[in-house]
Amino acid sequence: MAELRVENLQFRRGEFNLRLDDLIIQPGEKVAILGENGSGKSTLLQLLCGVLHGTGKIFYGGRSLQKIPVAERAHLFSLLPQFSEVIFPFSVEEVVLFGRFPHRQGNSFSEADKQLSKQQLEQLDLLQLRRRQFNQLSGGEKRRVMLARVLNQQAPIIYLDEPNASLDIRHTLEIFELISGREQTVIAPVHDINLAERFFNRFLLLKQGKLLADVSRDQLTPQRLTETFDVQVTSGAAAFTFCHQ
Amino acid sequence: MKKLLLLIFALALVGSCLIGSTAINPLDASPIERDILISLRLPRVLFSAVIGAMLGLSGSVYQLTLKNPLADSFTTGAASSSALGAVLAIAFGLPLALVPICALVTGLIGLLTVYRLSKTNGVINPVTMILAGVVMNIVASAVISFAKYFFEDSLSSIVFWLMGGFFVVDWGKLLLCATVLVIAYLLFSTQALQLNLLALDEHSAQSLGVNVDRLRTLAFVVATALVAVAVSHTGIIGFVGLIVPHVARSLFGSDMRQNMFYSSLLGALLLVLADAAARTIIPGGAELPVGILTALLGGVFFLYLLQTRRERFWHG
Repeated sequence: MAELRVENLQFRRGEFNLRLDDLIIQPGEKVAILGENGSGKSTLLQLLCGVLHGTGKIFYGGRSLQKIPVAERAHLFSLLPQFSEVIFPFSVEEVVLFGRFPHRQGNSFSEADKQLSKQQLEQLDLLQLRRRQFNQLSGGEKRRVMLARVLNQQAPIIYLDEPNASLDIRHTLEIFELISGREQTVIAPVHDINLAERFFNRFLLLKQGKLLADVSRDQLTPQRLTETFDVQVTSGAAAFTFCHQ
Repeated sequence: MKKLLLLIFALALVGSCLIGSTAINPLDASPIERDILISLRLPRVLFSAVIGAMLGLSGSVYQLTLKNPLADSFTTGAASSSALGAVLAIAFGLPLALVPICALVTGLIGLLTVYRLSKTNGVINPVTMILAGVVMNIVASAVISFAKYFFEDSLSSIVFWLMGGFFVVDWGKLLLCATVLVIAYLLFSTQALQLNLLALDEHSAQSLGVNVDRLRTLAFVVATALVAVAVSHTGIIGFVGLIVPHVARSLFGSDMRQNMFYSSLLGALLLVLADAAARTIIPGGAELPVGILTALLGGVFFLYLLQTRRERFWHG
């Protein structure tokens, strides 16, 4: 595991311009990216893992991302995109096994890979769905399968674009507990600020492609959130709070 | 299931050799009938099997790489643009060996045009792809018609070639097509696991270590080479590559390590049976171009796919 460093990152598409001058993320940090729709959260995530290219430099352990071959990058980063699809009827266990692709032996998966996939299925409460076709699952079930695939990759940095999208509150809690308890670095745009505050320890506040603030949990104040989202934010007891039974 | 399918295929090969304008009893065959069996029917049946396997394999790869269940050499415009190259090569009187190469070049240009037109912001729109394929077919047909009109000297060769089918087969053609098929199959087999990941969205595939652009380019070139070589020797035989990957997928799953094998096998079986039917369906020894039968079968199947997947198609 190594640090992730960003220098003068810039990405432009039409009127949209994302800019990030300097950022260092230490191994094991849990970083939530907060910001309104269109602020550049997903774009930043895609730039950081190298599936989108901008100007500037991104280093992993001192090595420029551009110089790391695609196959090797799969050992360093895993990505859960905001929208995931699987064309044609692949089973749940086949999709989760895809996560072991970077570790494959030749043109097949080893028994150890299959065993690890089974563990991921168990961990995400998917074992009973393993023979079902991915395309026949509900939105939340699909999300959990894709998350299992991403975790199965066992990369030191995990990028999750809105990991709890389509998930009910029980599975949201399970997944946030699971990822916050892992030793890998997790970087994730999250819309639910209360959940982000509870499970992440560092927050990047984005507004219109610019980094407004890079703060720890105790610095995540209502005033900063008000600036980020253009809504009045106050802290206090929530109407409902959730935790596991 | 695999053994059963191989047995059916073997029986289809044998049966197809024995039937035709006159049925031949192998246990009681005259020297002339034996000659017909060895010199005419056997290479023809094997040739139809090889061409079927080429079209089935290319369809399997096209459907996955283009993320479109309606993709095959015909609907993507690859076959008609390959035919265009072959017709121009014949019209200009180029050596026969250059015909498949010209077909490959124009086939790739046609396919890449359709691919570029149907891709927006990194996502392939299946409906645009089919529409672009239709346009490519129309344009290629128009240029082929122009070639027939303009190159009067080559008209008879072009018309004979365009009829398609397995009328003239020899062992040399068979060997060439079989070699291309084996090379393409082996090449795809080494990439089968990677090809599976193209079923995911592009960013996920890339984050798993797949060089998506490189793999897709390789798949396009090799699959179009299969189509171009097939089209150069038999004319356009549509829809084999549309039907068989779906049947293979429903019987043996979507894993490309299986799907490519079974699509090739079922493609071979389908064309062997279609050719046998084309040789026997009209009483009196006349025969139909096999493309007519596959187009009829494929058209119905195409409508079935449109009906069953309509929702997903229009709404992505």
